[in-house]
Amino acid sequence: MQNALSALVIHDIKNALALLEIELEQLNHHEGVPVEGQRAYRRCLELKSRLMGFLTLYKHDQSGLNPMVSEVDIAEFLEDLVDASQSVQMGRSRQGHPVSVKIGPGGNANVGFFDQNLVELALESALNNAVRYAHREVRIWAERQGGVLTFKVCDDGIGVGMVDETVQRGEKSSSTGLGLALCEAVAKAHGSGSISLENVAGGGTLFCMTLHKAG
Amino acid sequence: MSGMEALVQGRNAVENEYIDFGKLSALVIDDISSMRHAVRSQLQSLGINSVKLASTATEALVQVEANAFDIIICDYNLNNASSGQHFLEHLRSENLLSATSIFVMLTAETEYDFVASAVEFIPDDYLLKPCPEKKLRSRLMRLLDKRAFLMPVLKAINAKQYDVAVRECNRLLGVAPDERRMLDVLRRKADSELAMQDYAMALETFDRAASLRSDVPWIMMGQARAHYALGELEAAAKIAKQIVEMNKNYVSAYELLSRIAIDMDDEDGAYEYLCRSSAILPSAKRFRDLSQAAFLMGKLEEAKSNSLEAIKLSTGSMVERTGDYLSLAQVQVDMGDQKGAIETLEKTARKHGEVGLFGVAKNAILAQAYFDLGDHEKSQKLLERSKSLLANRKNSFVMTALGKSALKAGDVVLGLKMMTEAIQVSGKDEKRIARHVKKSMKDTGHDDKVEDVIDGGRKRILNLVEEANRLMRTAHFDEAYLKVKEAFAIHGENLDALMTAAQLHLLWLKQGGMNEAIVERAKDYLMRLDRLLPNNQKVMNFYRFFNEIVSE
Repeated sequence: MQNALSALVIHDIKNALALLEIELEQLNHHEGVPVEGQRAYRRCLELKSRLMGFLTLYKHDQSGLNPMVSEVDIAEFLEDLVDASQSVQMGRSRQGHPVSVKIGPGGNANVGFFDQNLVELALESALNNAVRYAHREVRIWAERQGGVLTFKVCDDGIGVGMVDETVQRGEKSSSTGLGLALCEAVAKAHGSGSISLENVAGGGTLFCMTLHKAG
Repeated sequence: MSGMEALVQGRNAVENEYIDFGKLSALVIDDISSMRHAVRSQLQSLGINSVKLASTATEALVQVEANAFDIIICDYNLNNASSGQHFLEHLRSENLLSATSIFVMLTAETEYDFVASAVEFIPDDYLLKPCPEKKLRSRLMRLLDKRAFLMPVLKAINAKQYDVAVRECNRLLGVAPDERRMLDVLRRKADSELAMQDYAMALETFDRAASLRSDVPWIMMGQARAHYALGELEAAAKIAKQIVEMNKNYVSAYELLSRIAIDMDDEDGAYEYLCRSSAILPSAKRFRDLSQAAFLMGKLEEAKSNSLEAIKLSTGSMVERTGDYLSLAQVQVDMGDQKGAIETLEKTARKHGEVGLFGVAKNAILAQAYFDLGDHEKSQKLLERSKSLLANRKNSFVMTALGKSALKAGDVVLGLKMMTEAIQVSGKDEKRIARHVKKSMKDTGHDDKVEDVIDGGRKRILNLVEEANRLMRTAHFDEAYLKVKEAFAIHGENLDALMTAAQLHLLWLKQGGMNEAIVERAKDYLMRLDRLLPNNQKVMNFYRFFNEIVSE
C-alpha cells in the first residue's frame, strides 16, 4: 500500500509539473514576457530534471533500471540533445560568461542501440555540468569501438582536481552529485558500462560515458 | 566543419523545405483534461491548426475511424481499463490505423521499457512527459521526414495495393540515402510481401535487412514469422528463441513460439509460452487465448480464472467480446458449477440479449446447465430455442455448444450432426475446433464416435475434392463440377473445394472455350476466395489467368 501510494503521488506530481512546464513554455511564447516569467520557466525545467534524475536513481537503487533499447541515429540524437538542452539554452558558465556547445569534431558512431531517454537524461546532466565549469566551449560527440559506444563531453575549463574542485563539484548545485551518480547508473544499465572524468592536456575536463553492447 | 555537423545541417535544410505544419492534422489522447489542452497548445504553437482531442480510447477510436490523422499523440497512462499500448495494439491488429499516420506515445514513466521493447506493435516514437515543444518539434520533423520519403509506399499500403507497395519499395531502395532509410524501406517491403502471403520473398527481404544489421528484434521476428509461414517450424523456433534470449520480455516471440508448439502437438509448451506473454503484457486477448488453451487441455480452473481476467480487462472497452461470457459459462458447466454458468449468462451478460450467434450459444449452454440440474423440461425448451435461432447460420463454436447440449439431452442424432458440421465449417481453425469437439464428445460419453465425426466431416469433403481433381486432370469437367458441388453442399466455404472449383473452371474455359455460365461461376469462386484469403498470391494468379482468358 505504502509503495502504491507513493507511486501514485509521484505520478501525480510528475503530471502537475509537466503541465506547469508546458504552461510556462507557452507563456514564454508571448512577446514581452517579464523576466520573472522566463525565470520561472527555467526553474521549472531545473526542478523537473532534478526530479527525473532523482527518480531514475531511486529506481536504479530499488530494482535496477531496465533500459528500453532501440536503434538510435547518433547524429540526430546529439543534435536533439543539444537543441533541447536547458543548460545549452542558458549558455552561461557559473561565472556568467557565455559558453557555446558544439557537436564533434570527431566521432565515428552513426548508429547506436540504447535507451534514448535514459541516456539523454544522463548526458543532459553531464552537459549541464560541463557548461557550468567551461571557459568558452563545450563539445560533445560519440565514438564506437566494436560493440562499445562512448559518449564524450569535453569542456575547456579549469579541469578536475584543481583548486577547490571538491567543493565546487560537490556543492549544492542541482546536478553534480546526483548527475554523476545518474550517469553511472545509466551506464551500468547498458551492460557493464562505466563513466570517467579526467583532465585533458591544455586544460579542461573530459567526461566519458561508456555503454557496452550499445554500438 | 566535421562530417557529422555537415550531415546535421544538410538534413535541416532539406526538412524545412517541405514540412508544412499548417497542413497537418493531429489527435491528442489524454485522460487528464488540462494535459490534453496543454499538448494541443504545443501543437498549435508548432503551426498545426487542426487538433482534435479525446479523453478515452473509445472516444479516440471514433475519431481515428473517421479521420486519417497525420499525427496521433497518445498518453500511455489512459485509465485503468486500457493503456495507450492496448489502444495502439487494437488499432494495429484491427488495421484501423492509416499507414500514413504517425503514432507517438507520451509517457510520464522512465520505465515503460517492458512494454516498449516487448511487443510487436510499437509506436513510431516514445516521448517522455513533459516534452518541451522544441523536442516535440524535432522528433515530429524526423518522423515526418521519414514519412515523406516513404509516402508512395504508405499510400499503396493504405489502398491495399501491396504489389504496388513492393514496386515502390524497390524503387526507393535505389535512392535511399543511407542504411537507415534502406531499413525503413525493407521493413515496409517485407510487410507488404507478408500481406500478399509471398512468404519466400518476405524471408528474402528480412534476410537482406539482417545482412545490414544483426540482432535487430523486428528483423529477427520477421525472419521467424516468414519461416513459420513457410512451414519451417524448427527454423522459426530457433530464431524466436534467440530473440527471447536477448530480450526475455519479447511478447511476440513467445506468441509465435506458442503457435509453433501447438503445430508440433506440444500442448504444455504452447500453454507455457502463452502464460509468459500474458504475464508480461496482460491484455483481454491474451487471457482469452490462454483461457481457451486451458479449456482444451482440461485445465478448467485456469480456464475460468483467465476467462474472468479477459472479461475484467475488456468490460466497457472497445475489446469487449460477448464470446467471453459464453466461454466462461461453458467452463462453469463443465466444472459442475451450473448455477455460476446460469448467473454468467442470465445476469452478467443480460445486456447482450439473444442477438445472433450469441443467442444460439447462450441457450445451448443454458440447456446444458439446466439439464445437469435435473430440469430436463426447461433444458429441452432452451435446446429447441437454440436450434431455432441457429437457422442457417454456421459457426463452429456455437454448433459445438449446441451439439453438446443435444448429446447431453440424449438427442444423439442432432448432437452428432452439429459436431460434424462444426468440423466441416471450421476452415483455418480446424485443429482447434477438432479438439473442442473431441472434448465435448468425451464429456458427454461419446468417445467412441469421435473419429467418425472428425474424419467424417473432413474426409468427406477431401474425398470429393480429390475426386474432382482427378476428373479435372482427365478433362472430365462436367463430372468434376458435380463433385465440387457436392462438397459445397456440405460446406460452402471450404477452401480446398473453392480452390479446386476455381482451378477447374479456369481450365474448363481455357480448354472448352467461352461459356457464360462458367465465366459467371468462375467469377463467383474467385470473389469468395479473395474474401476468405485476401491478397493470396495463388488467388491473384487465378485472377490474372482469368482476365487473360476472358480478354482473349
